[in-house]
Amino acid sequence: MEIKFTINGEERTEQVKPNQRLLDLIRKDLGLVAAKEGCGKGECGACTVIMNGEPVTSCLVLAAQADEAEILTVEGLAEGDNLHPLQEAFIEAGAVQCGFCIPGCIMTAYCLLKENSSPTRNEIRTALAGNICRCTGYQKIIDAVQLAAKNMAAGGEN
Amino acid sequence: MQRESKPNVENRQKTSGKDSKKVPIGSADFLAPESLEKALDYRKRYGFQATVIAGGTDIMVDYFERLYEVNSWLDLNKIEELKKIEINDENIIIGATVTHKRIAEHQELQNHLPMLAQASSEVGAWQIQSRGTIGGNIVTSSPAGDTLAPLLAYNAKVVLQSKGDKRIIDIEDFFIGPKENVEESDEILTKIIIPKPSKNTLSRWRKVGKRKALIISSLTMAILIEVDDQGVIKTARACYGAVAPTPIEIRNVGDYLERQKLKNVDPKKVGEIAVSGISPIDDIRGTEQYRRQVTYDLTINAIKEMASEL
Repeated sequence: MEIKFTINGEERTEQVKPNQRLLDLIRKDLGLVAAKEGCGKGECGACTVIMNGEPVTSCLVLAAQADEAEILTVEGLAEGDNLHPLQEAFIEAGAVQCGFCIPGCIMTAYCLLKENSSPTRNEIRTALAGNICRCTGYQKIIDAVQLAAKNMAAGGEN
Repeated sequence: MQRESKPNVENRQKTSGKDSKKVPIGSADFLAPESLEKALDYRKRYGFQATVIAGGTDIMVDYFERLYEVNSWLDLNKIEELKKIEINDENIIIGATVTHKRIAEHQELQNHLPMLAQASSEVGAWQIQSRGTIGGNIVTSSPAGDTLAPLLAYNAKVVLQSKGDKRIIDIEDFFIGPKENVEESDEILTKIIIPKPSKNTLSRWRKVGKRKALIISSLTMAILIEVDDQGVIKTARACYGAVAPTPIEIRNVGDYLERQKLKNVDPKKVGEIAVSGISPIDDIRGTEQYRRQVTYDLTINAIKEMASEL
């Protein structure tokens, strides 16, 4: 079947199978490999993408359910050669260890900062509770989100 | 050896993907009607052959690695009618595909139905709350479903619609066993009707699990107590999840509490009655003994806290 959706600002029309997952559409068909498959059961958050403004675990969404949706992945965050402040902050804070969970963390953090431009550490922990980092580098991930919030407030961006 | 770096522009990954190959479509189908009428038609025609899906946060896990077993899907997400929240003088009516996130953040639901709003805010994590729906939580009918004990405590009713017909049943009659309910193959759960609690209503919701997020509850508790102006208990409902084959109300607790002054109630006695009404099992999320102890402790604390609120 055919679905129409927007991904990272570009409108697309794709043929999908009824049993195909959104994660597989994004990774295998579109070749956007930032979102990762960790558990495949919605427990780890590595496959988090933003669908219609909310973070979702794309392993639990059927591709066909993305019809008419607006999807954002990490690949859509940077503008040209300029990384998004969240991406810059994750680098600056040293928040990336193995990196597997980071695309998911960044997408959830992106939604958090849209809703709350200066979250407390506890608010960041609650928002990111669905993103598991098995390197257990949570402190620096939280540092990074706070740093991004600070930089975005100073820069008046996004 | 150093790899030669290509010019930045060519090197950069496209942001919206390469052109995908066209994939052949099997016999499976994906039905996404925009009207309830159409959905009920499909339901009558296909019954359980078409798996109903809304948020998918339970069903996709159930079919993990065997999605191929699903013949066809009936997706409810395009039916606007099922996404409404209506509040009138007597009732709060929540559409079946209203997400946990919307319930958790809805100001009036927070005011009128605090236990439901809190339970919704503790389902899974943000990613699950964005997709998971209240109707889905009910239809999945897990004894541990987070919104179910609050819905029992609020005396909710569910509307089951079929082609040209509908029935409205008490939510406690909906569940008949672990993941089993009375929904027929031609029916869709369309709405949840909750009588608006009076101003003198106190309530306590608690969820116990091994971690804060993304956990199936070891135990949930929702206690609602309505008092009159003298602090005498008019109605009381103590409901629990994950302590019996279905979410349950312990009637004996209500019978014991009603007509007593809340301030004079012996919390330990209430805890004992609650524990004698449950039938928990040992499983990965807790032992029977643990669940009895936690039921006892949570109940006592809830009664103490509510009495101190008066």
